[in-house]
Amino acid sequence: MTNAYELIINILTALGVYDMILDMFKPSGTEFVLKLIIVVIELAVLFAFVLVTVMFLTWMERKVVAMVQSRYGPMVTGPRGLLQPVMDGVKLIGKEDIVPAKADKFVFNLAPYLAFVPALLVFIPLPFGESLIISDLRVGLLYIIAISALTPISILLAGWASNNKYTLMGAMRAVAQDISYTIPLALAAITVVMFTGSLSTVDIVSAQSGTWFGIIPKWFIFIQPLGFLLFLIASIAEMGRIPFDFQESESELVAGFFTEYSGMKFAMYFLAEYAHLFAVSGILVTIFLGGWNGPVLPGIPVVITSLVYFLLKTYAVVFFAMWLRDTVPRMRIDQLLNIGWKIMIPLALLNLLVTGFLITAGVI
Amino acid sequence: MQTDELLINMGPVHPSTHGVLRFKLRMDGEIIKDCQLVLGYLHRGTEKLGEMKTYQQVLPYTDRLDYISAFPNNYCYVKAIEELAGIEVPLRAEYIRVLVMELNRIVNHIVSIGSLLMDLGAATMIMWGFREREKALQLFEMLCGARMTFNYIKPGGVREDLPEGFIPKLNEFLEEMEMRIKDYEQLINSNEIFLMRMNGIGVISAKDAINHGLTGPTLRGSGVNHDLRKLEPYSIYHDLDFKACSRPEGDSYARYMVRIDEMWESLHILRQVVDTMPEAKVISTSKYGVAPMTGVPSTVSTYFPRIFTPPAGEVYTRIEAPKGELGFYIASDGSTKPYRVKIRSPSFCNLTALSGMVKGLKIPDLIAAFGTMDIVLGDVDR
Amino acid sequence: MPGIIKGLIVTLKHVLQIGDRPTVTVQYPYERMKLAPRFRGLHAVDEDACIGCGICDTNCPNSSIKIVKHGTRWYPEVNIGMCMFCGYCVDVCPMNAMKMTGNYELADYTRESLVYGPDKLLFKREVKQ
Repeated sequence: MTNAYELIINILTALGVYDMILDMFKPSGTEFVLKLIIVVIELAVLFAFVLVTVMFLTWMERKVVAMVQSRYGPMVTGPRGLLQPVMDGVKLIGKEDIVPAKADKFVFNLAPYLAFVPALLVFIPLPFGESLIISDLRVGLLYIIAISALTPISILLAGWASNNKYTLMGAMRAVAQDISYTIPLALAAITVVMFTGSLSTVDIVSAQSGTWFGIIPKWFIFIQPLGFLLFLIASIAEMGRIPFDFQESESELVAGFFTEYSGMKFAMYFLAEYAHLFAVSGILVTIFLGGWNGPVLPGIPVVITSLVYFLLKTYAVVFFAMWLRDTVPRMRIDQLLNIGWKIMIPLALLNLLVTGFLITAGVI
Repeated sequence: MQTDELLINMGPVHPSTHGVLRFKLRMDGEIIKDCQLVLGYLHRGTEKLGEMKTYQQVLPYTDRLDYISAFPNNYCYVKAIEELAGIEVPLRAEYIRVLVMELNRIVNHIVSIGSLLMDLGAATMIMWGFREREKALQLFEMLCGARMTFNYIKPGGVREDLPEGFIPKLNEFLEEMEMRIKDYEQLINSNEIFLMRMNGIGVISAKDAINHGLTGPTLRGSGVNHDLRKLEPYSIYHDLDFKACSRPEGDSYARYMVRIDEMWESLHILRQVVDTMPEAKVISTSKYGVAPMTGVPSTVSTYFPRIFTPPAGEVYTRIEAPKGELGFYIASDGSTKPYRVKIRSPSFCNLTALSGMVKGLKIPDLIAAFGTMDIVLGDVDR
Repeated sequence: MPGIIKGLIVTLKHVLQIGDRPTVTVQYPYERMKLAPRFRGLHAVDEDACIGCGICDTNCPNSSIKIVKHGTRWYPEVNIGMCMFCGYCVDVCPMNAMKMTGNYELADYTRESLVYGPDKLLFKREVKQ
């Protein structure tokens, strides 16, 4: 079992229904339809999972902010306000969909969907657990970095098409920021690849299984603390959250690149933002925090325990991002770019160099 | 490189212009080449109203100038009337006045720092600030029945004496406040991102600050130790031990730190006031006083005459309001209504320095520098 | 970095509510805060004490009080839409008939409904034996 497709087939076989289903398709020679159906089911589950996660994350964000600020947060809709995201969705659907008169209508309408697609695509090579992965790409890490680098295109389109000075400035900032932070992100991730010798996310996770001296887990955070720190900062910049939320920076640019959006299109950006938050946290966990590795509990299938470990770690990272957001103010865009180009990239290169030397010398 | 200038209208509806201020920015990319302020969106004609209403009726309108800290407005207007008519004020009333004004200074600085941090993107501080502000507002509510527009200080004293249980609650607040300010300092003071945003931003030299007529923490952040409570002690300030806080740097961080220091000083003043408050009546009956209506037990003091005619003349008083120097000029022609009321509001005068301060900076710096000016649009436009 | 870590510690203290940092907000429509007895809310007029003299009318800075006929006597009518709750009407009432209650939920749909006539303002003081 290497991915979710095989997992589904295995489960069906274990239930004893797989051959039966296969027989339905075999006479007409349309096994590929069955394959397609299974893939569609996989993707539907993933999509549903992302949507539910996003809804939960918006609720969690509010609750964490509220806890930091000595408040309750949403309490009325559902138990402890758990249904608040549903209400928000209903409200946003009910809103008028305003397109500014002088906007480039086609691009304006297209941009929100372009923002959501990369956020969703990032999940494909993300290992949620033992064999819980849509597709174990051999270039998984590269794919993730490449796909996340697509987000600025949608932001730039949105900012440009809105025909508004604030949106344009927000878009320009977002692009400058994303370009300068993808480089340290990739450089920090490459050091890990030097250890594993593979870009596949599954290989990276399995390289982190086991422990040193029976206590310390063999996570890359302990070998690569600097790389972890760089990756963390760069990924928070990638997520576009405070202290690096220049694309929005609501006190300067009203709402940044989505100032002119309303209703469902606004919701798409919201969705994309939180999906991205979860995805980037998941990648961080995969690369540096041991992915789904954790102590094996007897009697429970590894599929379930690994999923639980992965979610726990990811939510811990998400919590950290939210916690940080409530603590620090926003940086200034030129300061951020300065840090990115003058500190983080040299540090990442240095880290790469030292790691290379150490590996060649056989120290680690 | 050939670049075009970008004209940006920031406001009057914008999240961080603290109301309805409008900046007309000429930008070169993100760099501000010129900043023009457009005022008057909240003009309510308070000065003209002052000519149409009787002396007493103007008083509630002064609450609405600087609505974050209304007690100093009240006090300054009342002080002008008292000087005009020569009304003596009982000592206990003066103590209560100083008490509420210093409490209001803390409230004002909390809101100022909170909204500064919110403009910088850290929403936590304003929520924490409002948590403590709520406690102070409850004290105000106990005292005079209103939370923001107090109408409490009257010519010749204050409206009502301290209610039962006020002093213990105040002491509780002072004790809690100490810990809370420590929390604020821990959250903000040494935060590197905050320092990056504030240090060296919006610098104004002492000379420029004086020439622009800056007052209050904004001036003291430039190293000019100008505090009217020290220079021209009014009320009971000459009996109190406190120091005027100032910082030499003249940048946004200095102005922020002056506010934090002033909160500590205000706590110190409040403790002294509570310890030394005398027991006595709270409203003067000396010159213009009339006896209360007989027979009916009154809950509030009705000593001040309903028809009040001060002698003809003019008076200018100034006090150190939390935002700076607040002045009231009142000209009287001996009738029941002022002939002219002129308000020298600190927010308006402080705002004049902003466009010079931000030239060559970026939009985020404009927000940061503007946040440390601590203005209220009700006070700017009057 | 150390400054940010210091900040993170203090925010975490709030999340975990360590050391007198409790949740302070109130779930408004379900629970309410206690108002101070001196709170200046909607007016109330003592039916027996009010003599309809109109001093409150003349002293009102916003001219929001009008004296109108109610039954056989004259009573004040308050336009809450114009009132700024300064409390002067209470201060100047020679019979101490006017008072302000703790009713602060005064929002309404029309301007007309903001005019509170004597029928809504009057109350009868309990006579102490």
